[in-house]
Amino acid sequence: MIVVDEYLVVRVVAGGWPENLPDTEELAITAGSHWRLLRRLHGPSGGQLSQIVAALSTAGRDALRFPHPEVFRVLDSRPILDEAAQIAVRYGGTGWLISETLAAGLTHGRTLYFGTERNVGRLFRSAADDLGIAIKIVH
Amino acid sequence: MALTDIEEERRRRRRAGDPRLSQEDRELLLRMVTGDLQDEFQAALDGDLAADPLLGPGPDPEDS
Repeated sequence: MIVVDEYLVVRVVAGGWPENLPDTEELAITAGSHWRLLRRLHGPSGGQLSQIVAALSTAGRDALRFPHPEVFRVLDSRPILDEAAQIAVRYGGTGWLISETLAAGLTHGRTLYFGTERNVGRLFRSAADDLGIAIKIVH
Repeated sequence: MALTDIEEERRRRRRAGDPRLSQEDRELLLRMVTGDLQDEFQAALDGDLAADPLLGPGPDPEDS
């Protein structure tokens, strides 16, 4: 299982597979990251982004709401909940998104893939380094 | 079908993206994450973290 961020999952859904993203395993996104994508779909934030979201067809919205099983999966948070809570305490209140993503990284190959460096915060990178989780940015 | 053929087929389908999407949908989604709307997309993601105390990490002590 390859765990990716919001950027990569949208890209992959759209058929824009990054050349340096491994394609030998299934792709997955955490529930927290999926939540952020769903927030974009259901709660427009204004600006051009909202216009783009509004212009998507029903099928286009469904591709993010109800993932096609051959394209990506949403990870079940329950098996990693305890590890995520430990991570949150250890690194000083990281919040659910970071804790869950790091716990997913520990469980799935100690590697996490991001579509841009901007989506990796300082606290996240520091905790990932400490936990021995590699962060790979793919374009 | 040989096992290697099945694996290759899975890879091909994975790389092709969601088959439900039209070409227009694909272009709209790519604008969000690789095109001119990338800044706005990142701002929206960051906004979710700032607005939700359970989801986000809270204030960064180095920013205060």
